[in-house]
Amino acid sequence: MDETVSEFFRRTILKIPLTEMMTILKTWNFLSENQLQTVNFRQRKESLVQDLVLLCEENRASLNDAALLDIIYTQFHRHQKVWDVFQMSKGPGEDTDLFDMEQFKSSFKKILKRALKNVTVSFRDAEENAVWIRIAWGTQYRKPNQYKPAYVVYYSQTPYAFTSSSQLKSNLPLLGQALTIASKHHQIVKMDLRSRYLDSLKAIVFKQYNQIFETHNSTTPLQERSLGLDINMDSRIIHENKTEKERVQRVTQEIFGDYPQPRLEFAQYKLETKFKSDLNGGILAEREEPLRCLVKFSSPHLLEALKSLAPAGIADAPLSPLLTCIPNKGMNYFKIRDK
Amino acid sequence: MELANTLSQDGESRGGVLAHLERLETQVSRSRKKMEEPQSAQAEESALGTRIHELRRLRDKLRAEVKQHQASVKASTTNVEPDQTLEITEQESLKRKWENVKAILQAYRFTGISGKLTSRGVCVCISTAFEGNLLDSYFVDLVMRKPLQIHHHSIPVFIPLEEISAKYLQTNIQHFLFTLCEYLNAYSGRKYQADRLQSDFEAFLAGPLQRNSLCNLLSFTYKAEPEGQSFPFCARLLYKDLTTTLPTDVTVTYQGKRKYCTFCSHD
Repeated sequence: MDETVSEFFRRTILKIPLTEMMTILKTWNFLSENQLQTVNFRQRKESLVQDLVLLCEENRASLNDAALLDIIYTQFHRHQKVWDVFQMSKGPGEDTDLFDMEQFKSSFKKILKRALKNVTVSFRDAEENAVWIRIAWGTQYRKPNQYKPAYVVYYSQTPYAFTSSSQLKSNLPLLGQALTIASKHHQIVKMDLRSRYLDSLKAIVFKQYNQIFETHNSTTPLQERSLGLDINMDSRIIHENKTEKERVQRVTQEIFGDYPQPRLEFAQYKLETKFKSDLNGGILAEREEPLRCLVKFSSPHLLEALKSLAPAGIADAPLSPLLTCIPNKGMNYFKIRDK
Repeated sequence: MELANTLSQDGESRGGVLAHLERLETQVSRSRKKMEEPQSAQAEESALGTRIHELRRLRDKLRAEVKQHQASVKASTTNVEPDQTLEITEQESLKRKWENVKAILQAYRFTGISGKLTSRGVCVCISTAFEGNLLDSYFVDLVMRKPLQIHHHSIPVFIPLEEISAKYLQTNIQHFLFTLCEYLNAYSGRKYQADRLQSDFEAFLAGPLQRNSLCNLLSFTYKAEPEGQSFPFCARLLYKDLTTTLPTDVTVTYQGKRKYCTFCSHD
């Protein structure tokens, strides 16, 4: 086995935490059960990795096998990457999309290889007719860098593709081109949506985040919202502002619904607006040029945090539509200008 | 200086006297208050005491009234039984009717399209089926407004919902629902057939079944007999019409030599 390949194996296996080692190796399904049984998984990590690399050498593992292991690791640790969303569109009046996965894969690979001689492309099929693509970029004269790959997740017969932000931004147009042509679309556009949580991004663009529907068959009817004001509480305690609290709860429920919000870490607003003031005069009011500033909201779970603002009394209900439109519009980057 | 001294002396002594008088005055008023306090406290106490007595009397009176009423009701039930049983049967029959209606509403989903009114409009349920097998249900929650809007839905992303709603949602909602129903039933049927092929005919398949999201392109290798000497055929099914569950093109090849078995299922 090539030294670079063996080093690549070593570094990939080293990344895997010991608690996940067995699961990931089994998912990879390259080393047999018998072979795995010969390895002592309780030894020090460096020695364990050495043993595993030796086994891979015995099995004549190729670069592609290593790339597959890397894909599986990334699938288990998808939150470690930041994902962008691209939207593709077809021309009007296209024929029915007869998507052939094998055709897509070979077409995608061919386009990249034709443009860049040195590139490693690997595929792994995933659930729901999706495919994970791993691309290691090289240049005309340099071999592909296996340690800074780009990932693309594409669900067949949908206009959306999710890509991990690659450090090598110059290859992005080529990647877009390959995706568009291979999936038989005409155009590709980057959406203003970015997050670590791939599943939340999918829920937002596929509009799957609200799956609560009223039916006659549901055994638990949609009850009146219990307002967190315990009914069993002592009747001698009177709640002031009860009507206001109920109104806030109702408005929040109308906007955010009863379902768990998709997970985003931030929302960013770039403002380019003229200064507006109630007072007449003042230096800023006379300024002709718009003011430029950036407002960024960060949170471990931004939409749940926004949902709890009004009930907690920190903000008025209803919240600004700039905040509440995020999942609906599928954006968390905004540019606001004067009309 | 002397004057000041005498003044201050006088002042002190006067201050002394005045201050003393003040002190005596405050003492007197304090002691008077103290004498009054227990009195007022006592007065309060006795007032509360009488109030408690009154409330107790009221409570006892009401308790007696309740007991009386209960006794009278019991007495009257023995005389008025037939009326009450009539009430009970009315209640029972109403309950039965209500449950009946509820069951009918629940059973409506077997017709394929059913709905429930919501606070903002209606939630339509499209229940798909294929050859007598009930399959997945899909929902479209509509907002009754002037333009009709879809609030949220559970339609898969690869079904052309935007196209269909652009064409029919505002003009002909019946057509919109029927078209959506067609697409969803066809998709469900194709998916069901592909799933059945994978699971029930595993022995006949020589490799994995290749499919896509819409299940409108299937590619697989199969043998005519599960074991033994039959030759593997490669089959490729294309479903160009998304509203049907039958393929529009079928190609079967044998060992690379194309044995054209292409046919169209349009009638």
